[in-house]
Amino acid sequence: MSASYLLRRLLTILLTVLIVSMLVFGITQVLPADAAVMLLGENATPEQLVAVRARLGLDLPVWQQYLGWIGHVLRGDFGTSLETGLPVGEVMFTALGRSLLLALLSLLLMLVVAIPLGVVAALRRGRASDLGIGLASYVGVSMPEFVTATLVLITLGNPAFGLLPSTGYVPLTEDFRGGLARLVLPVLTVSVILVAHVVRMVRSEMVDVLGTDYVRAARMKGLSRPRILFRHALRNALLPTITVVALDIGYLLGGIIVVEEIFAFPGIGRALIVAIQQRDLPSIQAGALIMAATYALANLLADLAYAALDKRIRYA
Amino acid sequence: MSEAPAVLSVEGYDLSYGRFAALRDIRLAVPRGQVLGLVGESGSGKTSLAYAIMRHLPHSAVEGGGAIRLSGQDLRAMTAQQMRHIRGSRLGMVFQDPSASLNPTLRLGEHVIEVLRRHKRLTRPEARDRTEAMLRRVGLREPAAMMRRYPHEASGGEKQRVVIAAAFAAEPECLLLDEPTTALDVITARQILELFTELQAETGVAALYISHDLALVSRIAQRVAVIHRGRVVENDPAAQVFSNPREEYTRRLVAAVPRPDLRLVRDAPAEAAPVLAVQGMTVRYGRQGLLQRLAGRAAPLPAGAREVSLELRPGEILGVVGESGSGKSTIAKALVGLNGFEGALRHEGRSIAGPAAMDRDYRRAVQIVFQHPDASLNPRQSIGQILSRPLALYGTPDGLSRRDAVAALLEEVQLPADFAQRYPHQLSGGQKQRVAIARAFAARPKVVICDEITSSLDVSIQAQIVQLLLQLRERFGTGYLFITHDLNLVRQIAHRIAVMYRGDLVELADTAALGGPQSHAYTRALLDAVPTPVG
Repeated sequence: MSASYLLRRLLTILLTVLIVSMLVFGITQVLPADAAVMLLGENATPEQLVAVRARLGLDLPVWQQYLGWIGHVLRGDFGTSLETGLPVGEVMFTALGRSLLLALLSLLLMLVVAIPLGVVAALRRGRASDLGIGLASYVGVSMPEFVTATLVLITLGNPAFGLLPSTGYVPLTEDFRGGLARLVLPVLTVSVILVAHVVRMVRSEMVDVLGTDYVRAARMKGLSRPRILFRHALRNALLPTITVVALDIGYLLGGIIVVEEIFAFPGIGRALIVAIQQRDLPSIQAGALIMAATYALANLLADLAYAALDKRIRYA
Repeated sequence: MSEAPAVLSVEGYDLSYGRFAALRDIRLAVPRGQVLGLVGESGSGKTSLAYAIMRHLPHSAVEGGGAIRLSGQDLRAMTAQQMRHIRGSRLGMVFQDPSASLNPTLRLGEHVIEVLRRHKRLTRPEARDRTEAMLRRVGLREPAAMMRRYPHEASGGEKQRVVIAAAFAAEPECLLLDEPTTALDVITARQILELFTELQAETGVAALYISHDLALVSRIAQRVAVIHRGRVVENDPAAQVFSNPREEYTRRLVAAVPRPDLRLVRDAPAEAAPVLAVQGMTVRYGRQGLLQRLAGRAAPLPAGAREVSLELRPGEILGVVGESGSGKSTIAKALVGLNGFEGALRHEGRSIAGPAAMDRDYRRAVQIVFQHPDASLNPRQSIGQILSRPLALYGTPDGLSRRDAVAALLEEVQLPADFAQRYPHQLSGGQKQRVAIARAFAARPKVVICDEITSSLDVSIQAQIVQLLLQLRERFGTGYLFITHDLNLVRQIAHRIAVMYRGDLVELADTAALGGPQSHAYTRALLDAVPTPVG
């Protein structure tokens, strides 16, 4: 892969984020919310409102407002929350950090569980274990997140059993064991959903690879079974899974709001929902932009990983 | 015949899939240092036999009586674990397509190293050294560099050399070669064959050489076994199978093998104005990136064919030969408007500037038949629908109804009229190619471009298709641009032959004059590489 390719990809990401920023800004303009009213409350006089609008620049043309906002964003200043008065960027990046922790742990658990299951299903194609794994993954895929989460809550998280704390979040730096214990249930819930999805992927890829000429050639060379399975088959079967995992990262950042909500996990999805409910425009803008950028970067990373593992892919 | 003890012997072996008997009473023996050719058409059971010997059969296979012995040991009595130690060490296999049989994410060297590590119990550095020596032995010039490459970074010939090195690595007693040169260019195939013959003589390995190509097998094998519908119908010294076949089936097979000394076309095309004339045609691939175009620094695109000039007279058969990637199909696609081109194209004196200028008249006059009927016939349409399409476009001949015209077309290609209701998957390969030919002739073309149309067919089916093309030409006076890599075949039928090499037309000569002293060096190399039938 060439340096110019990397540069092009980064420029594309920049362009994508720029377009997203315009869309987000445009949407917040048409939302039925008035920042001045939000700040001053319903009882403000018209004169006060005008004064606040002038102070915030809300009376300027939209494009000037956009330029002013994006200029600050580029300097790392996402503005302050209308609701809490806190710097939005800091709040959102903290939430992103927590979400990424949840996402990475879930992905890790998912890979550890899904790959062996997919391989077993492929090797024992058409037999009871394959059908069982297939059925379980169908159930896992079809169950709504809140059902999975509720099931996890009333079993492992049931206060009557006292196994694990059911909700909340404690930074690992403050209380490592307590923080980890609170991560278990959300990670488990999210993993169940991902596992179901990836098992099926690994299984079908593995079935394809096991049927290729080169795997048959490896068998005809009398190689040992582990060598054929891991070096020749599994490695190649996992390549497409990387792309799927990258798409999952997008889901993990924005799509697991229900899970975050149920476990009271303060991730970026939840922060964004709260911001939307409160019509907190700077928070909405920052959250959406940060999520888009993270998603684009995750996809780039997946493409790079794919190229590193499969030498046939060369980005020029 | 001297009775050396057989390294590989198959004794009265039967195999069936369900009720279908794939192999019946197979008897073969390969002594040390000998090559037994196993010739058969697709579906004859030759590959089933190879995998039966390797003890790698699908679950649906049911074995009957008989024994398969390697140096006297019955392989059928071996456990799976024992077979894993025999395969690759005492009994090796070389496959048809090196691009498919090498793992794309494994370096080339690793494919040999893993065999040595497993069967010779070498340490990694020892295996690496031995592999380097092996790769040098199989004629790879920079073995150390080659070992670090991935399969996609090597040519087909280089890859097959690696596969052969891996097969010989553990010094096997017996090798099975399953069409090891079929996927390669003529010249590369010849080199691989020579390499194999050398290594075989050097190591004294007993080899079973499986191929559909009787001419090729008769050159490298001491004995040839002909397999037909699961039975070995002939098993004799190679020269005898070719010159004096015993069985009726073998006689037909031998007769179907194209031989350049037996011309099938005797007339010469009329001295008329060319129906198709190409002057300095260059076809480029790819397109400029948006950024390069904006920056105004567009590099010229790679050309698939450069400055090609040729003309085709009415009723002429012009052969186009060359290895894969030489630009044969590129030109064919340009002529039917599937590729853009630079240069001049004239059809009956009329200038055709590019694909956009190819009007209905031109498209009616110039038709194409592709190599794979499976890919060129829509699997969801019946044969009747497939043939109706060009009839709707170009009209039915002699005021026939569409249905009658379809029946007439099927009759022209010698298929029963009720095939109109069938779907492509219900037809054999040869029948499908007949449908593709009928579709081309529905337009009553003046020129039909045949792009490797017999390459995926068995030799006896190929002979029938060629016969059909010649009959249709007789009847309609059609000219053919006959693209093929089979020099023997094209020399039987073409009036003139164009030789392409890496995008250039290097020679265009009368068939009789091809390969003479004035011929291009590449043409002569090509002719030398082709095994002509012995006897």
